[in-house]
This record gives sequence, structure tokens and C-alpha cells, in this order.
Amino acid sequence: MPLNTSPRVRPYETLPSLNVPGIPAVAPMPSGESADTTRVAERFGGDVLAAGMHNGNQVLYVKPEKLVEVAQFLKSDPQLRYESLIDVTGLDRKELPIGAGAARFQSVAQLRSYSRKQHITLVADCAGGDKPSIPSLTAAYQGAEWPERECADLMGISYTGHPDPRRILMPKQWPNHPLQKHIPVGGEEVPFSLTWDDPEFETLGTQILPALSHAPDMPPGMNRENMVINMGPHHPSTHGVLRLVVELDGERVVSIDPDLGYLHSGFEKTGETKRYKDFVYYTDRMDYLSGMNNNLAYVLTVEHMLGVEIPERAQVIRVIMGELQRISSHLFWLSTHVLDVSGTGMSLLMYATRERERILDLFEMVCGARLTVSYIRVGGVWADLPEAFLTHLQDFVRVMPGKIDDYERMLTDQAVWQERLQGIGVLSREQVMEMGLTGPMLRGSGVDWDLRRDMPYSGYENYDFKVPVQTDGDGFARYLVRMEEMRQSLRIISQAIANLPDGIYKTDNRKVSLPPRAELDLSMESLIHHFKLMTEGFHVNPGFYYHGVESSKGELGFYLYSDGSPRPYRLHIHGPSYNNLYAINTMSRGEMLSDIVTNIGSIDIVLGEVDR
Amino acid sequence: MDWLNLVVFPVIRIVVLFVVLLTGFAYLTLLERKLLGRFQVRYGPNRAGKFGLMQPLADAVKALFKEEIIPNHVDKPIYVIAPALALVPALLIWAVIPIASGMPAVADVSIGFLWILAIAGVEGYGIILAGWSSNNNYSLLGALRSSAQMVSYELPMGMFLVSILILAGDFSLVNLVDNARPWWEWIWLWLAFPFFFICILAETNRSPFDLPETENELVAGFQTEYGGMKFALFMMAEYTNMITTSAIMATLFFGGWRGPFAEEIVWLGPIYLLAKIFILLCLFIWVRASVSRPRYDQLMTFCWQFLLPLSIGYMVISALLAVFLK
Repeated sequence: MPLNTSPRVRPYETLPSLNVPGIPAVAPMPSGESADTTRVAERFGGDVLAAGMHNGNQVLYVKPEKLVEVAQFLKSDPQLRYESLIDVTGLDRKELPIGAGAARFQSVAQLRSYSRKQHITLVADCAGGDKPSIPSLTAAYQGAEWPERECADLMGISYTGHPDPRRILMPKQWPNHPLQKHIPVGGEEVPFSLTWDDPEFETLGTQILPALSHAPDMPPGMNRENMVINMGPHHPSTHGVLRLVVELDGERVVSIDPDLGYLHSGFEKTGETKRYKDFVYYTDRMDYLSGMNNNLAYVLTVEHMLGVEIPERAQVIRVIMGELQRISSHLFWLSTHVLDVSGTGMSLLMYATRERERILDLFEMVCGARLTVSYIRVGGVWADLPEAFLTHLQDFVRVMPGKIDDYERMLTDQAVWQERLQGIGVLSREQVMEMGLTGPMLRGSGVDWDLRRDMPYSGYENYDFKVPVQTDGDGFARYLVRMEEMRQSLRIISQAIANLPDGIYKTDNRKVSLPPRAELDLSMESLIHHFKLMTEGFHVNPGFYYHGVESSKGELGFYLYSDGSPRPYRLHIHGPSYNNLYAINTMSRGEMLSDIVTNIGSIDIVLGEVDR
Repeated sequence: MDWLNLVVFPVIRIVVLFVVLLTGFAYLTLLERKLLGRFQVRYGPNRAGKFGLMQPLADAVKALFKEEIIPNHVDKPIYVIAPALALVPALLIWAVIPIASGMPAVADVSIGFLWILAIAGVEGYGIILAGWSSNNNYSLLGALRSSAQMVSYELPMGMFLVSILILAGDFSLVNLVDNARPWWEWIWLWLAFPFFFICILAETNRSPFDLPETENELVAGFQTEYGGMKFALFMMAEYTNMITTSAIMATLFFGGWRGPFAEEIVWLGPIYLLAKIFILLCLFIWVRASVSRPRYDQLMTFCWQFLLPLSIGYMVISALLAVFLK
């Protein structure tokens, strides 16, 4: 029986008449000014269409033809020094009341100054109406390459001057760009490349499998004179369904072409059809090793746009959870990294997993789930900490430093381990900033940057912790950084336990969070709030906002564009794994085949987040 | 012609040896999984039978009944024969190992040392041919690594063997164990044992030197295209090799069948030998559970720049010792 693929209609979510008049609305133009925006506006005059602050972020609207010039100015000007490009994404304004003649697509770039602790958003209209195009930012920042490829693939914006304009997440033969607003969710015909009509299936189950020679699908620039091998998608150490096309000269790596998208599940498109509060559960599934941090990043973005106050207790609980998740994610990284580098017999895999198990047990205590936690919700957390939790947590914090010492004894001073990591996958300070890498990749190469300390959120400014920085930029430096991060996380947790205040764990703003069950029997108002929240969800003021948190793998950022309705108009996820994986080619070139595996481990990717 | 001594007894011995070795292989896999499990704070197989004792049987049944898949792109005759080529040398070496006072396993070959060196030289072929005939990049890389690694590590291993030979003054392994050695010779031998053990690890492709199959990089290396019983044959070769090389090490360094009362009560000899083999096997597994794997080029550098000069030096000093002290 053929599969029913007709588009599903969810009337309660899509019925336009439910919406208040005035929705959808376009985000307001930035107001006020900051030193940076003024400086750019003065320098470029009429080419800067608008400059100022929006939702607490600095925003610049520039003319598309001046985009690259402005970016170069932001990067090179000694008073601005925006060294790194964090993210590039696009916005399809088809369903917004933009008025005739306005450009349908916009390109949105997030720039970061590490030395000055500044963040700026760069917005430019795309020329060309329904076939948008815009100059590529790769001319100013190398790290724009993959974000722009992603945006070109999913949004259909073509970047002129881009060095490698192939699709990256969707299959080559995919007929459309799914993030464009006129593409429906669900019900699309999937152009499979392999069907049952394929002659390869005729001999299925026979003793001798035919292996016909297919013309190899070589990435541009690869030479068949060398040995070209496919690592993945089914390979033991690509950490999921990642495919690397590797060109080898003997065992030396000549070049690598990563092929992504095997796990692409369209989180961004899905997010645009869900109410704000319903997307929290999806975030768990992206980087499934750090669900809490994903929840936190998303929830903070929404909360900032809503402008709700989060109770003190919820903030501290969030910090505890975020740090526990960081330790658990690092433990999993450590165990798999050791497995990749040292072989399956290595016992450290199970030792680290044993300790991670305790963290997962703690998660189970607070929310019943171990991996897909969805514990941190808009307005606070899902439930208060159970009574026994703090005792167990204190015991964990007491035991854990000794365990980390054990791991270090097994690895740090061991000659074989050092030889495998030292000088492998070296990235210089300039390179990591140029490529837009984040997290331990940044700190391993000598950039002293941690969002928790430098752009604090969730009350991180109240904790005393060190940000480990190493200058070598090799695999060993990143290993040391992550080991030290685990210790610092433990320090933060013990401070949080000591300062855990009493009080509510969820905001009592009834426009955002549900009233308690008991209140419903007594108060009509509560009943209305409950009904509105459960059916329609809360409305978010028109506007956009980018917020990044320091996830275990790097900066996890959410870019939200609200049109005033209870669903995000545009939801973009900046996954650290995706941007960090971009470095694999630079890191591995000229090294041995074994070092690719070491480098993948050293980047610490989760394919669920790379492909999203 | 003495049929009884030339044909009947050796055949009986061979059959017994086969049964013991193959059972040993089967339970060695269980031992390894159990021990690794314990090292890694887990249980290891414990579902099939009491303590998982039926696990090897279940594995054998599974391997035998798996679908035989021979891909079209392989060089068929070589592809099929390679697993057997890997297994046979591991069994052959046993012929010369003394199992009790004055008694070799099968035959007292007067050139026991050379026999070991010669068979060890053949050992690489199974793996190299398997990788080559598979017509697969991963297999080929595994095979290339394997050939380079085995050839390289045969050199220091040979040097150590020659040193022992110089000290013993006799090619026969039976005589080596039978003749008493002075105390300084034992100590001098044990000094070399760690290095010899490293060579053996590389020779048998055991972790941490299992670079020909490195599941992290080469998927399964030379055995990527093998499945079912043919794959099991490679496993058999690896584990039988472990037993065999443990027997060689026990014979060369720890007096083989020797032990209290072994000369008076003959049947104690094999038991002592088995006990020594068992301890050495546990050492193999222990190393696997705790030592990181070096990179391929680091392994080769270690061999050529450290182990080979060391073994040559060891040989020279051994010769001097043999001349002046014996």
C-alpha cells in the first residue's frame, strides 16, 4: 500500500482567524545607538540603512552591495575588531506585511568581537526577489563558508563569490529549498536515489554479491591518482552518519570533503510550525548529549524576547543542570575519544561511562528522563528538585574530582597518549577566529573566551570559576581544556548548591507559565490562562534576537524572528558541532589517516546537531 | 619401518593437540571477554550457560550458519584460501614446543628455533593476501600496514631468538628446556622479556598494536570483506597465535614445562606449561585493557629506532656472555 503523504493540516495551529489583527507584523527597526553602530554609520553614511539596538543586540541594516565592505571594516577597524563571524542565516519574509517592492529575503550575520566582548547583527536585503542573491561574506571571514552553504541549500539564497556553492545538507537532487515559506511541511515527494527498481536489488540474498563499478562521484578538486576512500556514513568512528571523502597519498591525507545531511531532520522548519513552548522538546534531540544546554539556549532566547523575569531558584537550578550536562557531555567525549585513539579494549571508556551514568541518574531524579530531558522550560524549570536530589548531587561532587584524577593518571602523562595528540590537528589563534570555531576549539588555541564569563546569562556572573586556556592549538591542548572544564564545572556546582535559594522554581507570570492545578478550581482567571496557554500558547512581540550559550561543544545559539504570533516566524539554530566540523579539512591535511579519527574526536561533534 | 613411532603416535598427538588448541581458542575468547569485562567494570558474557560457558559454542554455531557472502569484486581463490593461510602457521609452530620432560608436542625437530622463525615468517601471508584479494581500500591499507609491521618486528624478534639460541648453544627447544641454565642466564633472559613481548604483540597483531585491523580507522582492516566462518577463521588465527606465542614465551623465558616435581611426575609438565600460558594470556588481555594504541608510523619508528638497535646490542652482549661465562 502506498504511503499516505498528503499534507497534514493542524487547524488549531494554522487557522488565521485565531490570530489577533496586526499579526503577522514586521520586526521594528532598531532604535537608540551604541558606540559601534555609530562608528559604522558615520563611516558608511547612507549605505547603512539603519543602525542601533534591537532587543539588546546591536543591529546594522546595510545595503547588500556594501555588505562585504562593512564586514571587512568591522573586522579590521582597530576600534571595532570583530574578529569572528559566528553565524550566517537567511530570512524569507514572504508571509510578512513588508509592502510591495521590499526584498523578500534577508541575510542575517552574527559577528563577534572576542577582544572587546561585543556582538553585532548584520542584516542585508537580498536582491533578486524570489531568486535571491547576495555577496558572500567569505571574502571577509573564511568561517562564513559552511553557514552560507547551509543557508543557500535550505533557503535558496545564492551567495555570489562563494568558493564552494554545492548543497550541503539536502540531497543533490532535492527539488526545492525547504525553508522557503511556500514549501509545505510534510507531504513532499522524496526523490530517493535508490528505489526497488534498481538492478542492484535483483540479486539480493544471493551468495555472490555483484559489485558493479559506478562512476565515482568525486568532490571537486580531488585527484583519482591518489587513493580516495569513503569514511562513512557507516564507519565506526565518525560518531554517527558522517561521510568523509578522504584523498590519501599513501597514508597521508591530501584533502577531506565532509558530506553531511544524513541525519538532517529539518528542526528549523519544524520549529516554525510549533508554538514556542512546544519546541523545547525538539531541542533535546539535536545535540542529544547535552539536552539541558540545548533547552537552556532556546528558552533563554524566548524569555529574552518575552521579557519575563526568571525566579532566582530556577536560575540556580538551571546552572546546576547545565554544568552537570557539560560534565556528562565531556565524559562521553572523553570515553569516545579514548576509544577512537586507543582501541576498543581501553577500559577508560567504561570508567567515564560509569560516572556519566550517575549524572543521568540525577537527571532521571529531577525529570524522569535521562537523555531527552526537556527539563528547562520557558519561565523556569519543569518541576522543583526532589528532596533526595541535593544529597545525591553533593555525593557526586565529592567523588568526581578523584575520578577525573584517575582519568588523568591513565592519559595525561602517558607517552603513547601524548604522542597521539601532541602536534595533531593544530589550529592557530588566527585560524580558529577566522573560521568561526567556538568552545574548546577556541580555548585550545589560546583565545580566552567563554560566554559564561564574558557574556553572562542565568546568573553565571555570580560564580567564581576559571576559564582554562591552552595555547598549543593541538589535540592535546583541547584535551587539557576539556578536562579542566570538568573540574571548573564541579566548582560551579558546589557553589550553586551552597547558594541555592528557596522560592518558586517557575515564573508566576501567568501569561507565560501554567497556573498550578489547584488554582484552577478556585480562580476563573487561572482557568482562562490555562486554556489560552494550552490551546494557543503565548504571543511574542515582533522582533528578532540571537542568543548564544556556552554549550559543552561550543557556542549554541538560537536566532528567533517573531511576527507577533505564538509560533516563531523563523527559528535558526547555530550548532557548534556544525561550525567546528568545518575545521576538519584544515586540521587533517598532511597528517595520517589515523589522525583524521583523532581530529574528529578532538572537535567533539554530535551528528544530530551537525545536521539538525 | 617403524610405523608406530613415525605415523600412528604423531597422528594421535596431532589430533589431541588440535582438539586442545581449538577448544583453547574457543575458551580464550570467553576468557578475554570476561576479563575485559572485569577490567571495564562490566560483566562480560553471562547469558549462555553457567558463567557464559556456552558462549563459544553459540558463537561457533552462529559463525557456521551465517550466510556465505563472497563479493563479486574479490580475487576468489586467494580470498577463500587466505583465512586458512592465516590459521595454519599458528598451529604448525606447536609441533616443536616441549610439553613435558623430554617430550615435544609432536616432533623433536633438531632445528626448533629455525622452525619458529620460518613459520613466523609465513604468518603474514594470510593477512596480506586477505587484504590484497579483497579489492577494497580499507583492506588494502590494513594489509600494507600488516606486512610492514610484521616484517619489521620479525627483525628484533629474530635477534632476541638468536641471543637465546647463542646462550643455549642448541637449536632444539626440547634440549633448551631440559638443560639446566645458570642463574645469571635467567636474569639476563628476563631482562629481554618485556621487549620480546612487545615484538610478540606486534607479530600477533594484538592490541595495542592491532593496526592492521584498527576498527576505528580501517573499519576492520584486512578482514573488512569477510563474514561468517571465514571471518571466524581469522579470529581463530589471532587467538591461536596468542596461545602459541604464549607457549613460545613460556618455553624460552620461563622454563616451559618445568616446575616443582615436574621431572619425577611426567604429567605435571603439561599442567605447568598450561598454567604459564594462562598467565601470559592474561597479560595479553591486561595490556589490551590499559595501553593506548600508537599510530602506525610511531609503531614503525619505535621498531627501527629503538627496538632493533636494542636487540642487536642484546645479541652482542649475549654472545660475549656465552663466550666468557659458559
